[in-house]
Amino acid sequence: MREFEQSTLIVRAGDLWSQATKAQFLSAIRDGNLPQEAFSRWLAQDYLFARGATTFLAVTIAKTPRPAQKVLISGLTALDLELDWFEENAQKRGLDLNVAPHQTCRRYVDFLVASAYSQPFEVLLAILYGAEVSYLCAWSALEATGPYAEFIHRWSNAQFVEYVRQLLRLCEQYPHADQQAQFNEVLRHERDFWRMTWEG
Amino acid sequence: MLHGLLWQLNSEITRRCLEHPFVRGLADGTLEREVFKRYVAQDAFFLRTFLRAYALAAAKSDDLEQVRLFHQLMAGVVDELKLHAGYAAKLGIDLGHVEPYPATSAYTNFLLRIAWHGSLAEIVAAMVPCMRLYTFLGSELSGSLRPEHPYEDWIKTYSSDDFRAPARQLESLLDNVAVDCPTGRDAYRYAMQCELDFFSAPMEVPP
Repeated sequence: MREFEQSTLIVRAGDLWSQATKAQFLSAIRDGNLPQEAFSRWLAQDYLFARGATTFLAVTIAKTPRPAQKVLISGLTALDLELDWFEENAQKRGLDLNVAPHQTCRRYVDFLVASAYSQPFEVLLAILYGAEVSYLCAWSALEATGPYAEFIHRWSNAQFVEYVRQLLRLCEQYPHADQQAQFNEVLRHERDFWRMTWEG
Repeated sequence: MLHGLLWQLNSEITRRCLEHPFVRGLADGTLEREVFKRYVAQDAFFLRTFLRAYALAAAKSDDLEQVRLFHQLMAGVVDELKLHAGYAAKLGIDLGHVEPYPATSAYTNFLLRIAWHGSLAEIVAAMVPCMRLYTFLGSELSGSLRPEHPYEDWIKTYSSDDFRAPARQLESLLDNVAVDCPTGRDAYRYAMQCELDFFSAPMEVPP
């Protein structure tokens, strides 16, 4: 993950980066002692987050110039498949996805959708990159084995790495003075989201 | 009436607002000046978003009477911001560079999401709590006024007819444009919860 962790946005985020990508939830998966309750909470809240992210991405695509749209449209298609995957997974495990959003999830989604409408597309690229690169690096720190191998693989596979790489290129291609501040804001939401999955 | 039902359903949160140490401090005048200054700065930041939400609500209405009301409500917010500007001048607060607290961002992002993305009914349901709560607090606190009360301006503003009238108009609009539904209840409740958190934030931040 060095190619990403050496990027300006991450370097300048300072301590926020590790706070957003290291979590007790993930350590518990690695150590094989993740409580079922925490997993169920994560699954439902991450599903609600992905639904909000779909809105964010759709609005962002509409504001983005044509040359950059292709990458984002592929991301939206992947997100649609991810929603299917969440729904199938929840059904298989007998988990209810029809739950109220946790306040932390809600704050993150409100931030994304409010930003999509009110920020310029260059900043939205940095927000999207922040959400995806932090998930990539957080899950990639785990070996894709054990009962949660499928989950680890989903956010650490080569195709996802390539998508995140393309997002970083877009951020560099379309710089904006406000990218860093909003990238940092994403990392704060990621940090809070991981805390919520563990603490409830 | 929907506005009365929603107010009743959230009486627990509004009671907690009234009993909140910040509001108690405003009532008896013991609220630390530094805490109040932080609150004024955050509230001014918030009101600019509130203003935008009214504008977006107006943009989503095709009823000229409703647009006129939103126009008046926007003028009310602009007047309310004068109170903040007055405090800023008197107390030395820089309203030009306000960094929002997480509780403020949570509230403004929520309002902006609803205002851009939600229906007119949802927007109004999300905006009534602020207006109604401040009318309620103003009225409850007006009994605490005494000569030389340090927060006299604040209490007088929110207990005045000038503030009560638009709050009532917005509630009437809610009754006209919204029906009782889970999304409306949720928007109202969440906004009221954001109001409560808004009072806590300036007390939690170290000076």
